[in-house]
Amino acid sequence: MSLVLTNRIGLKDSHTLSVYEKTGGYQSIQKLFSMTPQGVIEEVKTSGLRGRGGAGFPCGLKWSFVPQNTGKPTYLCVNADESEPGTFKDRLLLEEDPHQLIEGILIASYAIQSHTAYIYIRGEFDLSYRRIEAAVKEAMTKGYLGKNIFNRGYELKVTIHRGAGAYICGEETALLESLEGKKGQPRIKPPFPAVVGLFGCPTVINNVETIAALPFIITQGAQSYRKWGTEKSPGTKLFSVSGHVARPGNYEVPLGYPLKDLIYKDCGGIPGGKKLKAVIPGGSSVPILTALEAEKVKLDYESLQEFGSMLGSGGVIVMNENVDMVWALQNLARFYAHESCGQCTPCREGTGWVDKILRRVLLTGASEKDYALLREISENMAGKTICVLADALAMPVLSYLKKFPEDFKKYLTRQNVVPQMQII
Amino acid sequence: MEFTPENKKKFDELLPRYPTKKAALLPTLWLVQDQYGFISQEAMEYVAHLLDVSPAHVYSVVTFYTMFHQKPVGKFHFQVCRTLSCALLGSETILEHLKKKLQIQENQVTKDGKFSLCTVECLASCGTGPAVMINESYYENLTPGKVDEILKGCT
Amino acid sequence: MSDITFTIDDQKVAVLQGTTVIQAAKKLGIEIPHYCYHPGLSIAGNCRMCLVEIEKMPKPVIACNAVATEGMVVRTQTAAIKKMRESVMEFLLINHPLDCPTCDQAGECRLQDYYMQYDVIPSRFEEKKVHKNKMVDMGSGVMLDEERCIACTRCIRFCQEVAKKDELTLAYRGDHVMITPFPGKKISNAYAGNVVDICPVGALTSKDFRYKKRVWLLKKTPSVCPGCSRGCAILIHHADQKVYRLMPRLNPEVNQYWMCDEGRLGYKFINENRIVRPHIQVNGQIQAVSYENAHEKLGQLIANIPWELLAVVAHAGLTTESLKAIEYFSKNVLKTKAVYFSRNEPLNPSFDDFLITVDKNPNQAEVDKLAFKPLANLEKASGLFVFCDLSEKDLTQVTRQAIPILGSWASNESAVSKRAQVVFPIPTYAEQDGHFTNVLGFEQKTTKAFAPRGEGRSVVQSLRELEGILIGTGAQLKTAARC
Repeated sequence: MSLVLTNRIGLKDSHTLSVYEKTGGYQSIQKLFSMTPQGVIEEVKTSGLRGRGGAGFPCGLKWSFVPQNTGKPTYLCVNADESEPGTFKDRLLLEEDPHQLIEGILIASYAIQSHTAYIYIRGEFDLSYRRIEAAVKEAMTKGYLGKNIFNRGYELKVTIHRGAGAYICGEETALLESLEGKKGQPRIKPPFPAVVGLFGCPTVINNVETIAALPFIITQGAQSYRKWGTEKSPGTKLFSVSGHVARPGNYEVPLGYPLKDLIYKDCGGIPGGKKLKAVIPGGSSVPILTALEAEKVKLDYESLQEFGSMLGSGGVIVMNENVDMVWALQNLARFYAHESCGQCTPCREGTGWVDKILRRVLLTGASEKDYALLREISENMAGKTICVLADALAMPVLSYLKKFPEDFKKYLTRQNVVPQMQII
Repeated sequence: MEFTPENKKKFDELLPRYPTKKAALLPTLWLVQDQYGFISQEAMEYVAHLLDVSPAHVYSVVTFYTMFHQKPVGKFHFQVCRTLSCALLGSETILEHLKKKLQIQENQVTKDGKFSLCTVECLASCGTGPAVMINESYYENLTPGKVDEILKGCT
Repeated sequence: MSDITFTIDDQKVAVLQGTTVIQAAKKLGIEIPHYCYHPGLSIAGNCRMCLVEIEKMPKPVIACNAVATEGMVVRTQTAAIKKMRESVMEFLLINHPLDCPTCDQAGECRLQDYYMQYDVIPSRFEEKKVHKNKMVDMGSGVMLDEERCIACTRCIRFCQEVAKKDELTLAYRGDHVMITPFPGKKISNAYAGNVVDICPVGALTSKDFRYKKRVWLLKKTPSVCPGCSRGCAILIHHADQKVYRLMPRLNPEVNQYWMCDEGRLGYKFINENRIVRPHIQVNGQIQAVSYENAHEKLGQLIANIPWELLAVVAHAGLTTESLKAIEYFSKNVLKTKAVYFSRNEPLNPSFDDFLITVDKNPNQAEVDKLAFKPLANLEKASGLFVFCDLSEKDLTQVTRQAIPILGSWASNESAVSKRAQVVFPIPTYAEQDGHFTNVLGFEQKTTKAFAPRGEGRSVVQSLRELEGILIGTGAQLKTAARC
């Protein structure tokens, strides 16, 4: 089925300009320049495209916050710092279809009247880096980027900026700090990046997947995009499925797609005849779903909210009946403690504390007091810090405790236990 | 220290990409690490001088980002993903296997300097776990058997 | 600039546009607890202690970064806010060593203060604390205990923004963050002592002060630093007639919140090498005597000299009151026109474009107003009265000119006091009320922190007594009015 983002995936040399051009690439440009920047923003607003990095903020609306005629440059930053555990969709788009991203960058830049775009790519993505770097060079040579694009007097320079190992740089203001040559410590807001962003200038930060959807929206029109998805969550989304499924991988599906179908039809179900136990639907920081909930929920912003979770980045982690949820939670707690930037007190101290408690529970058993404390630490972290990294641990802690009480109960009776699963 | 002529050229090309010199810090540190395999204190001071920033600032940046090494790593630097998706698929088996094979613990380098081992957080290779990054390349869907083959190829 | 009216805890407050909630609350006398916020530094917003509730905001907001808007409704005392403060305290203390009995900050530590106000619950932390380095010498007399650090970054921002030296940083991340200079380097700015003052906890302590005195045993007296013509407003911390440390005191026009290290450590002369009794020279030997005997000796020395041939030298480090008394005494008692000044003139004086001035005399402006002449202009005199001290250059000159130093009024022993025939002990600036006029023309007051050492008497009192003895008891020193 031809969709929006992944039509070229699987084609030989899909990352090259020649394949991209042969398969309808860069077709939006003529149309783009026939539109006003405001017109492009309106088209994207109409499409209902929402930010695919995790927050789901309407893309066109975000663009419309950028002040015009400030006398300063406006920047576009592409967030390619994909690091949310369970998420590997941007890597696919970068490695396999970099020109689609570049075409999207041209659209977004034109809409906000930016002449400089930075792609902030995570340090580990070596192949992605090389592919996008080569693609930018090709696009420059062909005049899709550079000075006076298509003789329309519009100039766009794209710079690729490589991260160096820090999850937090996916947070948009941490990304800006990192781009400016600093530690990736999120900034206090206000001011917001749309007004005071990169180098103190108006800045839009968009996720790779968000940008990659733009060529389709401009070429085919907002209404074509809205063919897919639901009224409130239009379009398609890439879901990265990992864990206990027969065919893990990236799947582009219309929003509103049943999670059950994704797991059982597309991914071939749970291998080894095992039962489903839990699903993280949107990257490791969103509240977890039980098997029962996973059977019912649809993959769109609203439906997941009804089940107390979030669409997030679309990283779907599937766990079978053998998984010990205390173990799984400790694994994530360690991740967030490791990735806390260390700025805000509740996050710096709280994430490490949660990790240590869970590790002790796994090794020597727990008391009810420990679980009460975990809940309270989580409540004390969530919503109290500059960015949402603390919330990203608090949400799993609270939801795992609530939804899998049996797993936690087991540790109450076990003293000096050997953990069911290996702590790593 | 000093950049090789080739790296100096790359460095010179970096500066015009940003409106401030400071913004070129991460790519400049990457160049240093490419040249030496790690970032020494001397190199940090050199970079600080090149970019008109303080050595203290460079130090804070080097210590913040986990991919920057302050000490040499092995010729083959094994970085085992330990985050949930890979852990569900047995990354601890891969790690234990590597420890046994290489006779080193995490964050250690073999005596001959050939191998080093560490764990890392999610590599965005969740659908193809367990995953290990060796130097800058991903190795995916690993089993102890596949690890043995990879080790054989490390020359 | 227009006025904004808004509400904090049901109290209306009018402030200028741009005022933050934390500043406005202070105006109302409402304390919003905080660690990282400092009015003299940029906003970091990391400690999260100053969270307040603002109507229509979905989440609690940090008061240090919230700019007041018209009609805003702020609450700082709700149950939820109290719980947040309690939780921030708990977070800050889990990895803290809780070593108050051996910590120099005890008594002026915000962790202690806020714990008593907002937390007071036993620790629920049963895990292993993160261990870090203790007793790290940061240079410039600053010691660091990494385990006590709460990573508020005040010290880093001070070095960057005030001292203009980006030499401290927060390295690593998560609960392993640590304040550090570049490895192998030390803090080298001339204002490093301020990082100790602004450290809200016991992480940064002063090498000079630590382990000397528990802070609750110290009295604090407002004064003026005599180290240079800037005259930074200070607090003298003292006990039992001894100064333990100087700390800057806010004066927005003179020194803001800060002072330099040179000035900070310039208190030692108050404690050491003091002249505590009058003394005279007898056959080349110094002999302590009573005031009566000292006066008698001085009287004898000048009995056969025309007084108008005597020269008087006042030091530019004396208080205005002392200078005026010297002027009066010279003019009306000795009736000499030979009134000169001497001053501190180090060979390589420190200076910068912030607080440190090249003129190391706190009251030169007043000396200039009184039109005292530089001692270099002195050609001859039958004898000298020296108040305070002479510069090395001036002493060499009068020695060369073979002018005898008949009287010396000094707080500390010096080459001058050793040569003088009669010496009267006087208090330092810390031991008397007085005034200095600084290089910008601001007159500031020094306050008597404690009684003068030994038998010391102020210049004013000493000259008043001498006046009575020399020209009859009826006369009164007019400048005494302000003392």
